[in-house]
Amino acid sequence: MSKNYEAEKQTFMGVPRKIIPWWPTIDYDKCNFCMECDKFCPHNVYAKFDDEKHQLKVKNPYNCVVFCRACAKTCAPDALGFPQKSEISNLIKKLRYESLGD
Amino acid sequence: MIARSVALKLIEKCPEIQLICPVLLNNGDEKYEKFIKSTKIIVIDGCMTRCATKLVEKREKKPFKRIFIPDMFKKYGIKLTKKLLLNEENENLAVQIMEEIIKELEEVEVKEILKSSKFETLEFFEIAVDKYHFKVPKEGYYFNENDCWIKPEGKTALLGISDYLQNVAADILFVEFPEIGSEIEQFDDAGSFESSKTVLQLISPGTGKTIRVNKALENNPELMNQDPYQRGWFIEIELKDFIEDGELLMKGLGYFEYMKEKIMKEKNIFEHIESEKNV
Repeated sequence: MSKNYEAEKQTFMGVPRKIIPWWPTIDYDKCNFCMECDKFCPHNVYAKFDDEKHQLKVKNPYNCVVFCRACAKTCAPDALGFPQKSEISNLIKKLRYESLGD
Repeated sequence: MIARSVALKLIEKCPEIQLICPVLLNNGDEKYEKFIKSTKIIVIDGCMTRCATKLVEKREKKPFKRIFIPDMFKKYGIKLTKKLLLNEENENLAVQIMEEIIKELEEVEVKEILKSSKFETLEFFEIAVDKYHFKVPKEGYYFNENDCWIKPEGKTALLGISDYLQNVAADILFVEFPEIGSEIEQFDDAGSFESSKTVLQLISPGTGKTIRVNKALENNPELMNQDPYQRGWFIEIELKDFIEDGELLMKGLGYFEYMKEKIMKEKNIFEHIESEKNV
């Protein structure tokens, strides 16, 4: 069952979610496709692709809660990475200032 | 020798405990005089002369705990030897005494935290949805969109999770704190908590240094569910620049509106899923 969060309409701190590049990246050299992250994440960020080489993919990046890294804690091989938090918070601040100027 | 060993083991285990040198105290060191008045004193007397007790009594201070080493030998069934150097049995006794003191200190600390007297009465924005009831304090608290709050008080601030997040998490069973002294930036993971349903992080609404954790949550994690804005606080930080933190935070009313929208969206999704099931 897909959980459609209508990413187009989502915002984070008043900034459209679609322009905030926060979601996990999978290091396929480390990932063992245990799917613990997929089982854990309640926002359907990940999806399983049984017939493909990379059985785990980030399917709904904009469902990912900005600044949440909880799924990385479930990853035994430490295969999940996130952007630099300070870069993202600075970007959000910048975008907010810009929108105030509009 | 054992009294000294107990004292050294105590400060090794709990760096926040400070050692008072009886000789300097006797000479009337001013720094010690102030310190003694403002803190809990643990007196460790090694022999019958009880110098430490006398020094504290002279200052009309009631010790938090008194340890008389010869009594401890009896209590733990250990024989006194005439040798000056500590043997293995004596070292073990020192560890036992140290653990006894720490246990008592922790119990008292938890009781002090549990006393809600230091918390004022809060006024809330409230909304009930189905069987759930959500509250947001009207004043004094600031929120991020990750459903965590910060309550600044001068140069320090308490941090915790919102009523919404505790409702989502359900019964909280375990907590994991950041280390005391650790530096936390805004939106860093400032510890986690585990419920019967999931593991969640407290995403820090502020930047600063961790100076205190709510030890009461170790034995009573349910306080986060029962009283998320007061007795269920998570950690305390020394603020770096709250004005800067505030740029990405919401006040009570702003968060209440955001939370309501989120609850209604989730309610719609849930109802949609349920209706699909029934088709």
